[in-house]
Amino acid sequence: MTSIGTGYDLSNSVFSPDGRNFQVEYAVKAVESGGTAIGIRCKDGVVLALEKLITSKLLKPEANKRIATVDRNMGVVSSGLLPDGRHFVSRARDEAASWRQMYKGPIPTSALANRMGSYVQAYTLYSSVRPFGVTAIVGGWDAEVEVPVDGQVGSGPNTGSGGKKDGAKHGGPFLYMIEPSGLYWGYYGAATGKGRQIAKSELEKLNLADGELSLEEGVKEAARIIYVAHDDNKDKEFELEMTWISSLTGPTKGRHEEVPKELREEAETLAKKSLDDDKMDE
Amino acid sequence: MFRNNYDNDSVTFSPQGRIFQVEYASEAVKQGSVVVGIVSKTHSVLAAIKRNAEELSSYQKKIITIDSHYGIALAGLASDARVLSNFMKQQSLASRLTYDRAIPLSEITSRIADRAQTNTQQYGRRPYGVGLLIAGVDAKGPHLFEFQPSGVTQEMIACGIGARSQMARTYLERHLDDFAACGREDLIKHALRALKESLSQDKELTVDNTSVGVAGIGENFVHYEGQDIAQWLDATFENREEDDSSSDDAMETDS
Amino acid sequence: MNHLPQAWGRPRDEVYGAYDHSHFQNAGPNQHTQQPIVTGTSVIAAKFKDGVVIAADNLASYGSLARFTDVKRLRKFNSEVVVGFGGDVSDMQYLDRLLNSLDIRENYSSTDTPLNAKNLHTYLAKVMYKRRSDFNPLWNHLLIAGLDGESKPFLASADLLGTTFSAPTLATGFGAHLAQPILRRTLPDEASVANVNKEDAVKLIKECMKVLFYRDARSLDKYSIAIITKEGVELKENEKLENQSWAFAETIRGYGTQVN
Repeated sequence: MTSIGTGYDLSNSVFSPDGRNFQVEYAVKAVESGGTAIGIRCKDGVVLALEKLITSKLLKPEANKRIATVDRNMGVVSSGLLPDGRHFVSRARDEAASWRQMYKGPIPTSALANRMGSYVQAYTLYSSVRPFGVTAIVGGWDAEVEVPVDGQVGSGPNTGSGGKKDGAKHGGPFLYMIEPSGLYWGYYGAATGKGRQIAKSELEKLNLADGELSLEEGVKEAARIIYVAHDDNKDKEFELEMTWISSLTGPTKGRHEEVPKELREEAETLAKKSLDDDKMDE
Repeated sequence: MFRNNYDNDSVTFSPQGRIFQVEYASEAVKQGSVVVGIVSKTHSVLAAIKRNAEELSSYQKKIITIDSHYGIALAGLASDARVLSNFMKQQSLASRLTYDRAIPLSEITSRIADRAQTNTQQYGRRPYGVGLLIAGVDAKGPHLFEFQPSGVTQEMIACGIGARSQMARTYLERHLDDFAACGREDLIKHALRALKESLSQDKELTVDNTSVGVAGIGENFVHYEGQDIAQWLDATFENREEDDSSSDDAMETDS
Repeated sequence: MNHLPQAWGRPRDEVYGAYDHSHFQNAGPNQHTQQPIVTGTSVIAAKFKDGVVIAADNLASYGSLARFTDVKRLRKFNSEVVVGFGGDVSDMQYLDRLLNSLDIRENYSSTDTPLNAKNLHTYLAKVMYKRRSDFNPLWNHLLIAGLDGESKPFLASADLLGTTFSAPTLATGFGAHLAQPILRRTLPDEASVANVNKEDAVKLIKECMKVLFYRDARSLDKYSIAIITKEGVELKENEKLENQSWAFAETIRGYGTQVN
């Protein structure tokens, strides 16, 4: 069944006779035209990467960062309408802050994804709003060791808090992707935006579910995938933006940070080289 | 006749995922007279063409000083700009009061961006019908930001918005590599030249219809109008008929 | 019998008289905090030519009881600011969480310049003044130590009344009486700051911590000390007083049980 002309696609929160919400589907269209965004869950961290299309020569290079920090240990990259992405991030920051108010500690990545899923879903329920024109990828590192609660001043008894099982694994890298419908899944590798199909097939080749890929390798793969997914012929130039979150013992000490320039440039050089090699093979 | 059903409000996506109301709001920016902004390593400059409703009326204000370290230039609905500028003034003062800090330009820009975005996602509101250039200096040096009705904001090296601004942008793109090293006077001249490009053939820049705003490192944002800009107009356009090289020389010596 | 269901089973007015509702009300106006509960004693700090030294002991007292002996009262805000807290410990923890959320907000963007000590002092002074104007003060005396916008040493205080003060040397609580005169011997005015180096300043502060331990009954010989310079914050939270001894107490005459 087609959507146009039926009248069922003119308002949010209206079902068509075959049970679809067309406004949400149209919002997805807005996402599909955005620059490619990907996230990779590696064994010791998470990488977020974005193909930032350069819409004008007059833009200041290397400024206009689009991957946002939500809490110290968490980042969001999104594809679609830029202002909607900022709205999403702003709400995510509020959720993370209110979690801290309540629990005196950082929000787990899964809880943030859950709350943002609910928030985005609420924008499909009412005719007075429109759905989000973004698909957002949330990456985070939940602390693997017991961290002090916010405001803690002493060490207290050294037995630690109770209710813990010996040998149980806590925390680690997490990755979620939230769609305009409010639907979200956990991922090993997530991709959205224009080049998502190519990016997805590249991500699948990495066998991420095995949990073997290291963070440093992940950075290089992320850069390569963004370059592969970029369509030279159709698209404008782009800047590669990358952030990462490692374990507490890793390079970012559990914090969400920009990938250092040297490492990013190295990854880009490798990405370009691998593209050239592929072309030679053809 | 074809009737576009998807353009009645800003809470309806078209089948292509566009929001027409927001796109129409951007058209309002193109109705406004042209404004131009450029940054160098040390300075940040705004220049604008002012319009008057009729011969005997006053000219519409195009540049507004917000705080001592920055100002804005507007193209589009001036009343929308006033709402935004009042908000910016209030936020800037709040920053000085609570932190004793001049608000970073990226911060104030994203705050108005967030406000503008809200107007594009809720029924009963309309997007702002104005584009802004935000220019000034903060702890990280000089900056220029562009604000659009959609809530998109971008940091630029140079920018022009408003009627026929494509001509100004073409000029700016052509001289893009020169701006970084420019001093105060040179940067103002570039801005005025870019402005002139967007003017129709029969019009000239005059002390009445031109407005300039400048901020620099260790230098507050100052808004110049009237006779205060006469020297720049003279210096920029006196050799118009002569070839480019000689005017370039003149530019080098008097800066 | 009353026909109103809500009165069934209750003491009858005609037998017991009307219920005295005044038991439910507390006479007089609303009251907020009237006194601190668990407290930290003095914080002392001194500027020197390249930065600031600040120190506070690790004790939290519950009245005269030495309740917690590992309490860190110097909190690092970022690489150029340390805040020292005297007074109520739970209010200090509240402020610490407030600063934590501020720090998270400030770091959303990696490109913006961080808040310096002057910015933070202005902010904290506003918080303290707001709370005292609500008649609900945060029972603390804060010292904010670090670098200002020009990367010069900055030291200022804000207290539970919202009062602010700035000087080359500052001390809260008992320290204001016991340590401040000693600190002023070396640093009488702003001009003298340029003549004091890091080692001298640290030595001076440590000496004052010792005097405070001898004279202040709510103090401890374990303390934290932080040095803030352009190179960053050097924070040590488990220092112990050096060359400290009560041996001289034997020689004091005129008190206690000793004869002549």
